[in-house]
Amino acid sequence: MRKTALFLTLLLALSVILSACAGGAPTATPAQASPTSAPVEVTSPPSEGKIQLRMMMWGAPEELDIWKQIVADFQSANPNISVSVEVSEWESYWTKLKTLLAAGTPPDIFAIDAPYYLDYQTRGVLLNLQPYLDANPHVLDDVYPQTLKAYQTAEGYFGLPRDFQTIVVFYNKDMFDAAGIPYPSPDWTYDDFRATAKALTLDKDKDGVIDQYGYATDLWDMELFWSEAIWAFGGEIISPDHTKTLIGSPEARKAWQFIYDMMFVDKSMPDSTTAAQYGGDLFQAGKAAMTTIGHWAVPGYAEAGLNFDVVPMPVGPAGRATSVNSAGFVIAKATKYPDAAWKFLEFVISPPAQTRLAELGFACPVLKSVAESPAFLEQKIKINHKVFLDSLEFAHMKPVFKGYDEWASVIGDGMAPIWAGEEADLNAILDEIIPQADEVLQQYNP
Amino acid sequence: MEAGIKPLGREKVWLWILLAPTLFGLVFSAFGALLATLGLSFTEWDLFTSPKWVGFSNYITLFTDKRFLRALANTAQFAALYVPGVVIISLFVAVLMNRAIKGISLYRTMYYLPVVTSAVATALVWNMIYGKDTGVLNYILKQLGMQPVCWLCADRAMLSVVIVNIWGAIGEGMIIFLAGLTAIPKEYYEASEIDGAGRFQQFFRITLPLITPSIFFQTLISTINAFQAFDYIYMLTRRGQGDSSIPVVVFSIYRNAWHFNKYGVASAQAIELTLIVAALMAVYLWAEKKFVVYE
Repeated sequence: MRKTALFLTLLLALSVILSACAGGAPTATPAQASPTSAPVEVTSPPSEGKIQLRMMMWGAPEELDIWKQIVADFQSANPNISVSVEVSEWESYWTKLKTLLAAGTPPDIFAIDAPYYLDYQTRGVLLNLQPYLDANPHVLDDVYPQTLKAYQTAEGYFGLPRDFQTIVVFYNKDMFDAAGIPYPSPDWTYDDFRATAKALTLDKDKDGVIDQYGYATDLWDMELFWSEAIWAFGGEIISPDHTKTLIGSPEARKAWQFIYDMMFVDKSMPDSTTAAQYGGDLFQAGKAAMTTIGHWAVPGYAEAGLNFDVVPMPVGPAGRATSVNSAGFVIAKATKYPDAAWKFLEFVISPPAQTRLAELGFACPVLKSVAESPAFLEQKIKINHKVFLDSLEFAHMKPVFKGYDEWASVIGDGMAPIWAGEEADLNAILDEIIPQADEVLQQYNP
Repeated sequence: MEAGIKPLGREKVWLWILLAPTLFGLVFSAFGALLATLGLSFTEWDLFTSPKWVGFSNYITLFTDKRFLRALANTAQFAALYVPGVVIISLFVAVLMNRAIKGISLYRTMYYLPVVTSAVATALVWNMIYGKDTGVLNYILKQLGMQPVCWLCADRAMLSVVIVNIWGAIGEGMIIFLAGLTAIPKEYYEASEIDGAGRFQQFFRITLPLITPSIFFQTLISTINAFQAFDYIYMLTRRGQGDSSIPVVVFSIYRNAWHFNKYGVASAQAIELTLIVAALMAVYLWAEKKFVVYE
């Protein structure tokens, strides 16, 4: 017994010393001295009256530089507010964000991808921005309405878009020239698209291995190609009340069959196993003549030395369609400075900040006046940037609903074996996964 | 494997003091996390709103969750191939490395290198080896006049991934077995040689029985590793949003938590994985009493 008591006393002494070393309060009580609370972050107290905002987003390192400039512009106009920006890579961003939200110490402002917005909004962690919008009714006047839709809820806006992405067709001019094929015309159809892809699929050294594919994309998520195809063939993705998966309708099946035939009949489109050998993006690797992707890919393709341009998505049996998705910002409900955070958000969708974002070249600005200005249309990388804006006219919003990630996984995982090149029965797989996807929807909309 | 020197009196106090930091870490982080996981497995929790008590329902749905069952089957298949593979091959390598030839430490280092190299980096190299059109392996096959093979396609991916995992674990097993091998007194071999025993007889009659403790230990560790395997599998078979062409249970846990916001379900899966490993350990410990020879 005595030994145990001695041991415990020594232990306590040790932990007090340890926590003192870690820079905790010098008069630490034993409760505070427990090792779980030892690694306290040393933060200097904010100077008198100065508001410190923390902002988090996903993105490339280049984006951090631009955001630092935007923050500097904001701070010079609002000297009593300072904003710190943290940029993480996509996957770790969400893990970090969720952990911080659960711990009750979220960043004041953080980036959100529209499909995930409701996962956060419905769980009550976001600040309702409607009172601010009611007080400044003209803030959204110049914003493209197609980009706002995703953020509207019955109780108002809990987030605002900062930029948007429409999907267009990118084509490699050198490959078209080499094959003597004219560049795609803006009014082309899905049949033209398929024929062009077929004509550009080449086995140059005749060894039975295709050296150049006509078209390449990633089919796991709907955004890059299959949602556009389904809409263009007259199908729908999900019912408006988010309770039914509609990708198995006769129209949608025609779209699936179109993709399947390109991959397995024409062989003008590589499977994911083949694409993985070149790092996933065959267009960037200079192994595919066409791809469908958003503006975020432009800087990377230019850096890879590709000679490329863009045209709108082809016209399908039911008309032309593309997908529009937006990245936005939200304010944490737990923020200590909602007014200052709003001020910053307002600045992000103002012309000076939007102009900087346009120059960065990763996305399309949500402000019409900036998008149609030389800042966006005449960027360093000379392609037809206007195609991205014109595509809004026939764009469908990438579906936004609670449980998106799990629903998308059922479909993505289910179809993946086909897209990996293991020829399987397309219709049988659709019949199997659609009820599973509906089950997921039921969980979230009981 | 004796208990060693027993600490006495005041030494015992120091023993505890010196162990205290490690024990603290163990009690608060490892056991704390384990208990929290156990608690969460009986709740429905999305990280933001407060957990809801749901009793055993997370466990009950596991039995009908197709994707979890598939992950479990993959994990079992992986372990069944991986554990014997690691034990047999690393024992073989250790026997080869257990002799006095020139540059032996260089060879040993070479076999150990994969253990200390980043799995992500080596997996990228393996991707180049396994590539369907661009891979080194298929290039060799073609030179030999054989048909190229899709190494990472569904039917063969499991085997290809197991090979990489075994390759990455040989070094660690080799060290364990080398320690066991060098502990065998030379006299046994000298005596058996005089009695006319051949190399194979020596191996099966002397070496193998005397390193059963190492074999036991290595089997145990490999089994635990097999159930936690993630990095090579992820790098070689990943698809969109945390999916893999051969998802194992760790994938399922990760996705349920971080992608689907189902921390209760993820916890139940983690607990079930722990229970399976614990059951296997019980079988091993029973087998230890029967088969392991301690000098």
